[in-house]
Amino acid sequence: MNQEIYLIGLNHKTAGVDIRERFALAEYESLITALAQEHEPITELMILSTCNRVEFLAVGQANAQIRDLILDSWASHCAQPRADLDAHTYCHTGEDAVTHLFTVASSLDSMILGEPQILGQLKTAYRKAVECGSAKVIVNRLLHKSFSVAKRVRTETAIASSAVSISYAAVELARKIFTDLSEHSALLIGAGEMAELAATHLLSAGVRTITVVNRTLAKAQELARQFNGTAHAFEDLPTALVHADIVISSTGSPTAIIRAKDMRDVLRKRRNRSIFFIDIAVPRDIDPDVNSFDNVYLYDIDDLKEVVEENLAGRQNEAAKAKGIVSEEMAAFMRWRDGLALQPTIVALLTQGETLARRELRKSIKQLGPDPDTQIVAIMERLAKSLCQKIYHEPISYLKRRSLEEGSAQRFIHSTQRIFNLDQEHVPSDAHLDRKNPVSE
Amino acid sequence: MTASRLFELLIALLYLAGSITYPLGLGLRLAPVKRLATWTTGIAFALHSIDLVLRLTESGADALQHGQFYMSLLGWFFIFVFLLLWWRLRHDFLAMISSPLALVLFSSSLAIRTQVLAVPEQFSALWFSLHVGTIFVSLALIAMAFGAGMAYIYLERKIKTKTKLPGFSKDLPSLDTFDRANHWAVSIGFPLYSISLLAGFLWASFTWKKVISWDPKELISLAIWLLFAALYHQRLSLGWRGRKPAKTAVLLFALCMVSLLGVNFLLPTHHSFRP
Repeated sequence: MNQEIYLIGLNHKTAGVDIRERFALAEYESLITALAQEHEPITELMILSTCNRVEFLAVGQANAQIRDLILDSWASHCAQPRADLDAHTYCHTGEDAVTHLFTVASSLDSMILGEPQILGQLKTAYRKAVECGSAKVIVNRLLHKSFSVAKRVRTETAIASSAVSISYAAVELARKIFTDLSEHSALLIGAGEMAELAATHLLSAGVRTITVVNRTLAKAQELARQFNGTAHAFEDLPTALVHADIVISSTGSPTAIIRAKDMRDVLRKRRNRSIFFIDIAVPRDIDPDVNSFDNVYLYDIDDLKEVVEENLAGRQNEAAKAKGIVSEEMAAFMRWRDGLALQPTIVALLTQGETLARRELRKSIKQLGPDPDTQIVAIMERLAKSLCQKIYHEPISYLKRRSLEEGSAQRFIHSTQRIFNLDQEHVPSDAHLDRKNPVSE
Repeated sequence: MTASRLFELLIALLYLAGSITYPLGLGLRLAPVKRLATWTTGIAFALHSIDLVLRLTESGADALQHGQFYMSLLGWFFIFVFLLLWWRLRHDFLAMISSPLALVLFSSSLAIRTQVLAVPEQFSALWFSLHVGTIFVSLALIAMAFGAGMAYIYLERKIKTKTKLPGFSKDLPSLDTFDRANHWAVSIGFPLYSISLLAGFLWASFTWKKVISWDPKELISLAIWLLFAALYHQRLSLGWRGRKPAKTAVLLFALCMVSLLGVNFLLPTHHSFRP
């Protein structure tokens, strides 16, 4: 009867990448179906799987072996030994589970503090749970709440306001140089992984077009296709420099490929339009002297790292503020949940009263003989009904009052359920002896 | 204190409020405070317009013979041009420069009583309004270019030397926006300045039967015109951008201030505002 919230999983803090990759869940819909529908004790379930964490959010009976159930299915789904999971997973319940979920959503538990990606991943996970029909009252409310907590943290603290990844820092700087990125185009020199990542960031920041220049033209064409851009041979670099405003260079060239003396001509052809170079290659691709020209801005990998580190330091302070918001929202959620338990209790109480009243009424009417006076029957019906309402009125309003107080609601609802035996459990005559022994979960 | 005096005091107080709240909003990074500053300045501008009309209808030609009227009018033009640029560039940053300038000009128009200006007898409304109107708009544009130029130089230094940007500069517009403000100010301001100078010299030739009287104001205005012409040419035909036009705009504004405050108040000239 008593429902509990569980959060079971592993993340980048508890498990290394070797463990994480073995237990990552690329496809988990079948796991949700198996766990939430075939196993009675789990009533609601959501699974979040990213490269930094795998987490199960479950709602189920308080005393059931939810943790074992989940870990067993998880291990067998991945065809890995269960023992490896035991060593690296955490299991939060109740308030801790809610706090953990809110912390994850607002990116306070991410590898890079304040990184916005996690919220999108959480939304996808929630959508899948909804599609599988395993998200009900509590998971729905929890997830909607966690999205709004993330939004609050975002707007009320400066945690996400500064750049923390290299390419994000580059985009932020570009915004300080150019007013509207959609009027500018980017040029990638080299077609490596870093260039790809930077291009993704630039495109999502609204850059108009992307041009790729690479020593192997085929590779440039491949990358350009991916971003709907154009590819050029390496010999066309000077022309490409005239048309691009943001240049990201990441080639493996041992010497500089853009020298200061080459820039003079390019700048003249550009009619002094600003150009922003981001040199993420080591050794560097662009001559540092290029930075001394007017309207030319050059940042190399170390300059960008510095920006990132300064911003990271600022984030730690904001994290404390964000944790305050999380615990505030957690308390609000728990209050809601306590209220949720109150409603079924009241309904159960009233139903019980009505059932008793009807049963007793039937007995009494029988005693009136085979053909009772309808007026008398009506009066008796009214009496039974109002008596039951009056009797339950006081306990119900007492419960409602108590539920406004923090903490005590759960206890009173629990007592009421036991006093009136709303669970309809068989109570042995020596039940009072139980009180001396701690009740096992 | 008369009602009109109280009214003018209110305008000055509103300009003061605008001048204080904008930097405050920028420093604290609070958008509502900045919005408040823009609104305060806007209301002050509306009241200021009413005040100018009242002054003209009350004393007519007499108002036109006093330096304080022109100072108030110049202050009004600063805000007018600020509002125009704000509409074009969608950024309120130039409030930083326009509100304090309007405040200084408007409050000094209240505080000082200048001598009666030697507005010539053969007063020709056309030449006069052409001369004064165009010079005031172009002065306001130069002031805007100065504000944008200072911000450009500051921000460009920070980005070039890779120093950490302080919190408030995250809310500053981009270098591009400042450069665009400079572009607007130069491409509109220079033709207006030229028209004003031309109107002034033509008017002088009708009045005094000589084009140039080697007056200090005439000389400094010509110097400003030359610098402005150089900037205009470099910017529009040679494609100057960024730091050089920003620096030139700052220099241009400094010269204008010398011309306005130094020459008009201290030297004997037929533009004299000397009390």
